[in-house]
Amino acid sequence: MKQSAATLPLVVAALALAAAALSLQVPAAATQAGDAVIGGRVEIGVPITTRRALAPYPARSVSPDSLAPPSELRHVVVYLRDAPPQPGLAAMKAEIRQHGETFVPRVVALTRGSEVEFPNEDPFYHNVFSLSRAATFDLGRYPTGVRRRIRFDRPGLVKVFCQIHSHMSATVLVFDHPWFAVPDEAGRFELRGVPTGQREVTAWHERLGDTTIEVSVGAGRSVAADFVLPVPKQP
Amino acid sequence: MRKGPPRLIVRTLAVTFSTLAVILLVVFVVLTVDVRGRVRAAETDKLRAGARLFSMLEARRQQDLAAVVSTLTENPTLKAALETYFAESRFSGLTQDQETALRRTVRIEVEKLASLTSANVIALLDTDDRVFTAAGPAQRAWPDGLRVTIAPMPGGSGQGVATVPGGAFRVTGAPLRLDQADIGTLLVGTSLDAAYAGQLAELAGASVVITVEGKPVASTLPPELLAAFTESAEGERRTLLGEEHAVRTLFDAGVARIYALNSIDAATRQATQSALLTLATIALGGIALAAIGSLWLARTLTGPIDRASRTIAAMTAARDFARPLEPTGSSRELDALTEAFNHLVDGLRAAEAESRTASIGAIRALAAALDARDWYTAGHSERVSTLSVAIGRQLQLGEAEIDVLRLGALLHDIGKIGVPDEVLRKPAKLTSEEFEYIKRHPALGARILRLVPFLAPHLPLVELHHERPDGRGYPFGLHAEQIPRTVAIVHVADAFDALTSARAYRPGRPAPEAMFELHRCKGAEFDPAIVDALDLALPGVAADLRHEPALRQLLGKATA
Repeated sequence: MKQSAATLPLVVAALALAAAALSLQVPAAATQAGDAVIGGRVEIGVPITTRRALAPYPARSVSPDSLAPPSELRHVVVYLRDAPPQPGLAAMKAEIRQHGETFVPRVVALTRGSEVEFPNEDPFYHNVFSLSRAATFDLGRYPTGVRRRIRFDRPGLVKVFCQIHSHMSATVLVFDHPWFAVPDEAGRFELRGVPTGQREVTAWHERLGDTTIEVSVGAGRSVAADFVLPVPKQP
Repeated sequence: MRKGPPRLIVRTLAVTFSTLAVILLVVFVVLTVDVRGRVRAAETDKLRAGARLFSMLEARRQQDLAAVVSTLTENPTLKAALETYFAESRFSGLTQDQETALRRTVRIEVEKLASLTSANVIALLDTDDRVFTAAGPAQRAWPDGLRVTIAPMPGGSGQGVATVPGGAFRVTGAPLRLDQADIGTLLVGTSLDAAYAGQLAELAGASVVITVEGKPVASTLPPELLAAFTESAEGERRTLLGEEHAVRTLFDAGVARIYALNSIDAATRQATQSALLTLATIALGGIALAAIGSLWLARTLTGPIDRASRTIAAMTAARDFARPLEPTGSSRELDALTEAFNHLVDGLRAAEAESRTASIGAIRALAAALDARDWYTAGHSERVSTLSVAIGRQLQLGEAEIDVLRLGALLHDIGKIGVPDEVLRKPAKLTSEEFEYIKRHPALGARILRLVPFLAPHLPLVELHHERPDGRGYPFGLHAEQIPRTVAIVHVADAFDALTSARAYRPGRPAPEAMFELHRCKGAEFDPAIVDALDLALPGVAADLRHEPALRQLLGKATA
């Protein structure tokens, strides 16, 4: 048994090395081959407000500007689908303010282990809770000026709500890889250092649905992926 | 036997009454028609107003329900669970545990809502109108995953009709909103069935018909009326099996409609009946008044005529035409008639006077005949007349009887005209044969007088003045009770004068002696009461006997 005890650390070390080599291999291969980039544009067709047939009262308007298509681009997340989990991700910090009975911003994309702060900027109480598998929490009710935070340690989609104001919601997409992006005002996005091979890129919007495009990522090459998000069904 | 003509009052009454009655009837009929029309219009308006009011109240109720449903959707747990469910299942799929947990959370919320309302079903639909979960008595008709067809009511009031395989439901819904987006719909539904129809019918006070896709699914109308009901007809009035109905559309969601019907005829019938009853009462009252009025009118017209005819009848019965008939002043015709009658009466009286004169002439002729024949008998007749009148007055007989007495006594021996001279003037006592001749003079006199009808009352005095109470008189041998009083008076007066007058064969006896004789023979030969009366009246008569003889007066020989 002395023999197995002695060899065990060696095996572990060898395995660790192999794993490290493997894990490094991919980016190493990428960097070796130059940056594989997936870039493109996201377009949205029409305003996304969908009215149901039975709607006796008009929409409770909070900020009409946010309904305009250009601003909705902020709520799109383009990400690499089925990407392998990456260790050692840089944690990000984000802030989702409670302002004018709305979560601002409504969509945040983060890496695993990032923290989000929820400051209450309204002159009344707010609450932050979620029933999502990736993060089930309730920050309680807190008044104006108070900030509470939560760390997202698991990847997935987290929908956040307010117990007091039922129309409020926000989405936090937690990824365990770095290949995600939110398009700019012009709709442009870039995913850098994407692992090569057949990849699927998805443009996600909470209302407009997902659109997935298959791309072939070659080493050191730039691939274009343009998205036109579907026009919603008219009521 | 033929019936006489109807009484004037009956005729007048009939005419006036029937005229009034006809007028009243015509007015009644016209009023009835008018009233019917008005009542119908009023009832129709009332029904329409009622239906309008109910529609408004129903609309308001639905609005309130919509508000309630919207409030129900303000449920953070419900929205959070639903949104998390769909977002995560889309993104990365849900685990069994998670799915169960989220579904159950939603279901509990919906069941809580179901217990708050009295709806048949509360359903939560996703953005594809599929049932996520449903609660309430009718939840079995809304299984999870069922696609529901919703037909909204135009106007955006949150109302509509949801069709599921199990039937149609009237629904009020509101979206679950999350940041300007709808993530689902909450429906509160009522099954369009007989129970609902009954509820509506009770609230509206009308009959209700619910149609789905043009076919009636529930109704409170009786089957035969329902069979006659069609959706296609337009307008607010419809005739079903002859009865007119006011129709109102309570709810129209295209695929389903609810109608409220009220029978105008039924409503009108009641109101018309009471109105007609009032009219009939008034009409009857009017007819009664008409009857009374006509009666009064008839009386006013015929009364004077009736009175006049009665007066005439009385005058005729009493033969008293001395006073003329008074004009009543009630009508010109009647007064003209009255005047004509009076003229007639005057004429008749003149004629009567003429005939009386003629009669007097006849008597005069007779008296003259007697006077010419036998002066002695004439004087005797005068005296007997005076005596008879005195006796009559003593016995307090009426003036009419005394007149008869006067004239009758004057003529009592008129029959002696037929007796031969030698018998009549014989100075000596008569033989029985000669006496037989004398005995004929009453019958003869009667025979003469019978020719003059107006002398009929005086006939008995002439014919029977020789009858005796004991029945031994002549010509008939009557007994006391059969002899009239006036006849008996003449008999006594005749006997007295015969006794006190001088005869050819004997002198006249003085009055007292004659009276004694009469008293002696009274009872058998003379009526006792009359003899006594003569006795009493005699003193007063003596003077009269010396006055102008009545006969002479009659003949106009003496100046009166």
